[in-house]
Amino acid sequence: MAETVSVEACTILQVEGWPETQAACESELSRQLGAALPADFGEAAAVGGWFAVRIAPRRFWLIADDGSKPNWSIDPALGCSVSLGEGRMRLKLRGPHTFDVLKACVAIDWDSPQARPGSALQTGFHHVPVLLLRTGAEACDIFAPRSFAQSLVDWLADIGVSRDIQDETISRPA
Amino acid sequence: MSSNPKRLAEGGRIDRGRPLEFSFDGSKLTGLQGDTLASALLANGVSLVGRSFKYHRPRGIFSAGAEEPNALVTLGTGGRREPNLPATMLELADGMVVESQNRWPSLTFDVQSLNSLFAPFLSAGFYYKTFMGPTRRAWMFYEHFIRRAAGLGRAGVEPDPDRYEVHHAFADVAIVGGGPAGLSAARAAANAGARAALIEQDFRFGGQLVSERPGSAAGTWLEALETELKGLRNVNLMARTTAVGLYDGKVLGLVERRDDAQVAGQARQTFTILRAGAIVFATGAIERPLVFSNNDRPGVMLASAVRTYVNRFAVLPGRRAVVATTNDGSWRTAFDLAAAGAQVTVADLRATLAPALQAEASRLGIAVHAGAHIADLRGGHGVKAARLAGAGTETEVDCDLVCVSGGWSPTVHLTSQLGVKPVYREEIDAFVPGPFAAGQFGAGAVVGDYTTAEAIETGHRAGIEAAAYCGMTKPVPAALQFELAEPAVAAFRNIPPARGKAFVDFQMDVTTDDIALAHREGYQSVEHLKRYTTLGMGTDQGKTSNFPALSAMAALRGATIPETGTTTFRPPYTPVAIGALAGRAVGHHFKPTRRTPMHDWHIASGADMLEVGLWMRPYFYRDAGRDVNEAYVAEMRFVREAAGLMDISTLGKIDVQGPDAATLLDRIYANGFAKLPVGRARYGVMLRDDGIVFDDGTTTRLGEQRFFMTTSTAKAADVMSRLEFLLDTVCPDLRVAVTSVTDEWAAMSVAGPRSREILAAAFPELDVSNEALPHMGFVEGEFDGRALRIIRLSYSGERAYEVYVGASAGEAAWRRLVEVGEPFGLRPYGVEALGALRVEKGHVAGPEIDGRTTLDDLGLGRMVGKRSGFVGDVLRRRPALAEPSRQRLVGLTCLQAGERLSGGAILFKQGEIRQGHGRGRITSVTYSPTLGAYVGLALLAGDVAMGDDVVAVHMMKDEAVRARVVSPVFLDPQGERLHG
Repeated sequence: MAETVSVEACTILQVEGWPETQAACESELSRQLGAALPADFGEAAAVGGWFAVRIAPRRFWLIADDGSKPNWSIDPALGCSVSLGEGRMRLKLRGPHTFDVLKACVAIDWDSPQARPGSALQTGFHHVPVLLLRTGAEACDIFAPRSFAQSLVDWLADIGVSRDIQDETISRPA
Repeated sequence: MSSNPKRLAEGGRIDRGRPLEFSFDGSKLTGLQGDTLASALLANGVSLVGRSFKYHRPRGIFSAGAEEPNALVTLGTGGRREPNLPATMLELADGMVVESQNRWPSLTFDVQSLNSLFAPFLSAGFYYKTFMGPTRRAWMFYEHFIRRAAGLGRAGVEPDPDRYEVHHAFADVAIVGGGPAGLSAARAAANAGARAALIEQDFRFGGQLVSERPGSAAGTWLEALETELKGLRNVNLMARTTAVGLYDGKVLGLVERRDDAQVAGQARQTFTILRAGAIVFATGAIERPLVFSNNDRPGVMLASAVRTYVNRFAVLPGRRAVVATTNDGSWRTAFDLAAAGAQVTVADLRATLAPALQAEASRLGIAVHAGAHIADLRGGHGVKAARLAGAGTETEVDCDLVCVSGGWSPTVHLTSQLGVKPVYREEIDAFVPGPFAAGQFGAGAVVGDYTTAEAIETGHRAGIEAAAYCGMTKPVPAALQFELAEPAVAAFRNIPPARGKAFVDFQMDVTTDDIALAHREGYQSVEHLKRYTTLGMGTDQGKTSNFPALSAMAALRGATIPETGTTTFRPPYTPVAIGALAGRAVGHHFKPTRRTPMHDWHIASGADMLEVGLWMRPYFYRDAGRDVNEAYVAEMRFVREAAGLMDISTLGKIDVQGPDAATLLDRIYANGFAKLPVGRARYGVMLRDDGIVFDDGTTTRLGEQRFFMTTSTAKAADVMSRLEFLLDTVCPDLRVAVTSVTDEWAAMSVAGPRSREILAAAFPELDVSNEALPHMGFVEGEFDGRALRIIRLSYSGERAYEVYVGASAGEAAWRRLVEVGEPFGLRPYGVEALGALRVEKGHVAGPEIDGRTTLDDLGLGRMVGKRSGFVGDVLRRRPALAEPSRQRLVGLTCLQAGERLSGGAILFKQGEIRQGHGRGRITSVTYSPTLGAYVGLALLAGDVAMGDDVVAVHMMKDEAVRARVVSPVFLDPQGERLHG
């Protein structure tokens, strides 16, 4: 199987609670989504059709495939939300050499429990801040700022050359 | 084989069925798979391989490892040319092209070997003493010739076609050194449950064990260990990989060489940053040479190296060998040489020798001289005879090989790199690593456990302890041991002083006389000795010279070895190619670039792109002119006379939300924002804590609790960081969230007298009339299902609108504007025209907000009025910032027909001497098609009045142009064009 790198749009909603109302904000959002949000910074969990990542102590990213619309809202007294899906691209890597490729990109120990499938990790990739979502044993999604996406795809393609994955499918970011 | 005259008929860890061709100085030679370049050269009878750094003395292969000081070669041709590589570390590959270095016209006849004749004049410090005059700049003249005369190889100047990569790797336990201690440690750590990485600089694991005779117990043990480790999934065997640096946090820098890799398309070198939970140092030890007259002649080799060549590579470097030693261990070299058919003489400095050694020597027909040392060698391009001295007698022994051993120095380089000084152990007369930091362990010869049995045992223990440090404590089977019948190592310090040309540092041509000179001249600290004589400053970093040199200095000072100390060890342990450090970050991958959503349109439409920070922005469009000077003037005309369209997606954009959002903005902007009505925008200026202007931009109030801030392109990240910092430290009480949404929005500016008509046609569902959307007004809607925001702002001085749309619809919105705008004369314009338009209007930007200017300097003081309490307010009131002589923003018009003003020109008053910093400088300049003249913005001293004439002097262009000081607003000072 050849490695593939594809680029897709996605929906990302950022939710943040105020310092004094964080617990209430989380509780209210959990109630509307029907499941508990990740408790600790860096944790990720599937929540009510969304993939929730606690991206900062008081901040969540709720990620879904492109086009998903939130059916929930945040009381401004508890917190706020902002859409980030237009500004991020989702680079999907698949194949047996996925993590060989990523070893040349990011300083993440893919064999550690913190990087098990389903985990989300924030790091720098070629000087660009990215969120990595390990979606499987041989698959990983990279959420990168849209303006950098093409550069990162070019980098991945270049790294892929020496790993015998020249036939990857690379689509340019829209 | 016939082409390898010095190859033994049998034995060795080489593949005799796989010959490899290579060339050395143009001669076609053959080696075998499993050879190093050094062993292949020796097998071919090549003993002269290089010339020394300073005296151009002939040099041969001295060692069999990374410590090699002599046999430096240049590998490859063209862009692949890589100089100064030790032949001992190059794995032979088919087609290798190798050249010797530092010789002309040839290795055997090197004209500069005449330097040797002038050796008495070329001692340490010669250059510093001699080339000091007649003027201070004279050195610059001499340096060129000195560098040509003394040196190493030359690097290639063409682009290197090979791949280099950088990787990140992780391990619970990293083991540096794949000898018996390292192998044993890896086995123990892996069995304890740890992920182990075993790092070995050689292409074979085993360390000194691969130099044991084939068929010995060592070979069996090695094979068993390698097989076991290869079968363990949690062991990463990293051969051909040198640990070159140790860094904080148990991070190791590793370089893997694959000199045959260019054929396979793989990386030729890979730099790996290995983060380990624990580290076991099993780096072994390096044999010390002996110092005597002419000890640098080709044919003089470390005793252990000779044993390696005989047993591992089946090469007999010489048929008549003298083994000069101070210890029992090197007698095994004598025995192996004799067994391979050489005629051997042993000269042991010790007067009393072990009977077992003498008995074995007698059995093998080896002549033994107890209490003897080599006083001198005879020979030029190769050793011919050794003069042995001892107990009042002298003997000359014919020989073509001299094996030397002055004991062993543990390889403490890596363990010392983080500042842990090595400590001296009297009983082994050597430095061992200082106290290990938590999570670091040592095993084998590096900690003074020289025998194989000790190495295996200490490696085993270190592996278990390192794994336990990482929380892995599974039961571990006992260490695999075997008997090698090695003699114990005992210190011997009575080495007689050398006379004549006795080299301590072979690579840097430092002799015992140089050390004595340094001592006489006061350079007695080892650090001073190093710098004065260049000792240890070669590519080998003095691996063989360090201990002999400090011993010599200790003797001269009458001090002990620990009192004398060692020099400081720093990364890298061995030289690292810059290409390996750069990896793939070369060419257009050197840094990432940012593309706006309209990037492809710009390229397709003939834009010349410009790098602005990381962003790619349209500089100008080829449709508008043949070059930038022609194009930007034309583009300015479009904007002033009809309409222009500019991609401003690069502006920083920040979403500011929360009940206290207005309060935050009031604190961070010098001008107030709390009373900004919903649906209105305001220009704002931020100050640094010291009162200097930080950045400017506009912020629009989208709702009672929500604002949309824009920053300059250059300061986007800085402003975002500053907001987060202030929220966390200065105003943690505020309920505000700030989020960078720069990539979220495509942004474009429609500017010009016909801009409103174009907007109305492009977005007919929105009311963009002057009443609904006045200057600094805001409307929002949708475009193509994406959010759309239009803010009426002007940077150019024309009626203008900033259109923000979801990034995915950016290109579509741009195309819509281009399409509907064409009948109105709309044309795209680039950053050069943008900059020129703002200069005409007198708007400040980066060249004026340069980290030195205040609000008053820039004419913005009135915006603040009597406000207080904002960031930077206190320190902006410092008296020095209010002095009337401070430079302030002015406009300049060029007074000389046919001349132009230049950015960066220094301003002088008429008649002033044109020296120094003048009265100010031109910050921005443009040709104004509206005014038909060059105009500029400048920062000019307050004592130069409006209407005065100044001279703008550009020193580097040798240019002096008269200009008049005027208002910085050249166009429409009442703002009539942008209102209405």
